[in-house]
Amino acid sequence: MEVNLSKKIILLLGALLMSIAVWAQAAFTVDVPKVVGLDENFRLVFTATGEPSNFNPPEFKDFDVLAGPSTSTMTSTQIINGKRTDSYQVSYTFILQPKSTGTFSIPSASVTIGGRVYHTNPVSIEVVKGEGSSASAPLGNATSSSGTSISSDDIFMKMSVSKGKVVKGETLVATLKLYTKVPLAGFENVKFPSFNGFWSQEIDTPSNIEFTRESVNGKIYNAAVLRRYLLIPQQTGNLIIDPSEMTCLVQVRVSSGVSRSIFDDFFDSYQVVKKRVKAPSIQVNVAPLPAGAPASFAGGVGDFKMSVKLTRDSVNANEAVSLIVSISGSGNLNLIDAPKIEFPADFEVYDTKISDNTSGPGAGNSGTKVFEYPVIPRGAGVFEIGPVEFSYYDISAHKYKTLNSGKLILRVGQAVEGTASSVASLPMGINKQSVKSIGNDVRYIRTGVSGLARANHFFFGSFPFFVFFILIVIAYFAMDRFLSKRIERNRDIAGVKNRRALKVARARLNVAESLMKQNLYSAFFEELHRAILGYCSDKLNLSMAELSRENIAESLQAKSVSKEHIDELISLIDTCEYARFAPDQDKPEMSSNYKRAIKLISELEV
Amino acid sequence: MKRIFLLNILIFFCLVSFGQSPKELWTEANNNYSKANYEDALAGFKKIEELGYASPALYYNMGNTYFKLKQIGKSILYYERALKLDPSDKDALNNLQLAREFTLDRIEEVPDFILNTWIKSINYSFSSDVWAYIALVLLAGVALFLLFFKYGPTSRVRKGSFFASMVFLLFFCISIYFSWSQKHVYNLKDTAIIMKPVSTIKSSPDNSGNTLFILHEGTKVSLLDEIGQWKKIELADGRQGWVSSLDVEII
Repeated sequence: MEVNLSKKIILLLGALLMSIAVWAQAAFTVDVPKVVGLDENFRLVFTATGEPSNFNPPEFKDFDVLAGPSTSTMTSTQIINGKRTDSYQVSYTFILQPKSTGTFSIPSASVTIGGRVYHTNPVSIEVVKGEGSSASAPLGNATSSSGTSISSDDIFMKMSVSKGKVVKGETLVATLKLYTKVPLAGFENVKFPSFNGFWSQEIDTPSNIEFTRESVNGKIYNAAVLRRYLLIPQQTGNLIIDPSEMTCLVQVRVSSGVSRSIFDDFFDSYQVVKKRVKAPSIQVNVAPLPAGAPASFAGGVGDFKMSVKLTRDSVNANEAVSLIVSISGSGNLNLIDAPKIEFPADFEVYDTKISDNTSGPGAGNSGTKVFEYPVIPRGAGVFEIGPVEFSYYDISAHKYKTLNSGKLILRVGQAVEGTASSVASLPMGINKQSVKSIGNDVRYIRTGVSGLARANHFFFGSFPFFVFFILIVIAYFAMDRFLSKRIERNRDIAGVKNRRALKVARARLNVAESLMKQNLYSAFFEELHRAILGYCSDKLNLSMAELSRENIAESLQAKSVSKEHIDELISLIDTCEYARFAPDQDKPEMSSNYKRAIKLISELEV
Repeated sequence: MKRIFLLNILIFFCLVSFGQSPKELWTEANNNYSKANYEDALAGFKKIEELGYASPALYYNMGNTYFKLKQIGKSILYYERALKLDPSDKDALNNLQLAREFTLDRIEEVPDFILNTWIKSINYSFSSDVWAYIALVLLAGVALFLLFFKYGPTSRVRKGSFFASMVFLLFFCISIYFSWSQKHVYNLKDTAIIMKPVSTIKSSPDNSGNTLFILHEGTKVSLLDEIGQWKKIELADGRQGWVSSLDVEII
């Protein structure tokens, strides 16, 4: 950054700029240095744009008017794009000298331009003791220092902050200023501080360094703002702003004693001297934010307002909609995080778009920050969004404040056909031979028998079910009883006969014995035959008609009677029959046969 | 006298036409369906249902009607109801499969134990009523063979009929179990379908609970518990949570 302009040029330029600025409309301004020395005379200029009449100067109580008002007029005509602009400017200049030190105000002056009365703002002027008018001579070619040495009193830098004690996150402005009494040719090796522990942003850097007069410790300096920073402390404790340095090129008048010509005396010769200036480091005390921050605290410190709205109140499913949260106010807007918003869980939420709209460089820390939350609802329904909450720390009230947007209602309609991806993709056949499904639909309804029945009707556990069940069980027991009874009865007849068989046989044999004693031959054998057959009939449970030799042999075999006994029985029956029906030939012995029968029956009984 | 008689007849006919029989409603609703008057068809089917009638065919047709009206959740519900009554309904299975294509949730089902699947497939190859009839027939068989066992003429017949009766008894028990289990399952009311397009499943039975997951219309869940207006549900993959009773409808 180099400034090669003398004060004169700067002032001229300033006046020109001002005149440009006020060209268009009628205006009435005052121009005066802020600080003057006690024994210094200075100019006070009232400038009227337009054709003034009836100039009414203020009353100068604390100043002596050395000259004025002297009026000067400036006319200019400009044609831009065929449009002609005429301007007319009148300046009223006073030369004043202060009477005493202190701060004095010059009341407003008034003028009538085009029928309207314009007033200037009252201005204040600080009058210091001053070390002569030389340092602050507006023409700038007078310097106080006659030597080449420049003290740190003549030129220095100062870093100042708007607030020395802040809370974390509170904004403050740091200003780096250069104060000089000597004319400058330029700067080099400028080193601006790094603001460790701060979030910093440079604001409204002037393109031209403009010097204004200021008094420091009762001395008049030309002061210029080099840089201004917006600072937001990110740490707590004593934060130190590093010193800033630069090398100034100072113009020093050389009064050479060697070749003293009239011209040398008349035209000063200058030498450029390098001077290193350094702004001392300063401290900023940063207090932590008090405890008890609300959950929705997003780091905002200052004074904010919030507005929340949806881009549309009703959408269809799968269509995008945005929720816009704008936070406006003053404070550390740049550092505010996006408020956390609870969207219904079915919403697809995309990255938040943040646009910063901090107004003008002068404001620095005020403006609007807009958070845009693009979402796509995937299902239909009426959804509640929010409430959106934003909390910040109010510096003036020294407490946390929470802004609440209230609930927002979003109506989501059914998805428009074709937008839903899940439905659109029907499986297609891969194989050339396979039958491709062109469409898909439910199978047709049942049109035939409705099969309607009372709901919740089951056969299982129902009354008929139990009836059937019990009927089967009863039938079983009834059958069981019937069969067992029949078998019991059958078994009893046979059993009685069986048990009676020996008895009956004995009785018959006894009859046969008595017949044998009477020697009644055929009667004996008849009785014996009857006894054996009766015994077989009873024992084998066979009727008389069934009593053939084969049946008897079979039945006995089934009863597992030995072969000898069967043969004996058959031969005995044969003998009896033979004796009965062929009595004349050689007769079998009665007693031996009787004994055979007794023996056989007793053996069969075993 | 004659006039009163005519009046009576008139009143009788009025009553008949006013309270249509389920069969007439059924035919009318089916006609409406075939003419694509789905709204009217649905009203007819609903009237039948309100009269206290049910059948797989009725539920199947209702499912179809809801499907045509693009109420996928309801259509799934009715297909499931049809399948609950008749699990072997191929049409209902097919349409249910199709309706599920339109739901958003894809839940990985934990595969059932293979033996369980077999038993289930055998169980649901007949309805509960059929199993009950089979059980009765088998019971009669058991009784018959027991009689043979007791009173068989030869020991071989008796031995054979003993084994046969034991086998019949086993099958009788199985079919009784199947019949009972189908009725039991039907009466359980332990499954439900999500009816809301989007319903949040919470970790506890109140609104303050954390949202565990989201279910969409048509998803089948099983019900485990109920507290007030909240139902504890379980997904096929084993995840559990609480859902408002208004969001679901029991099959």
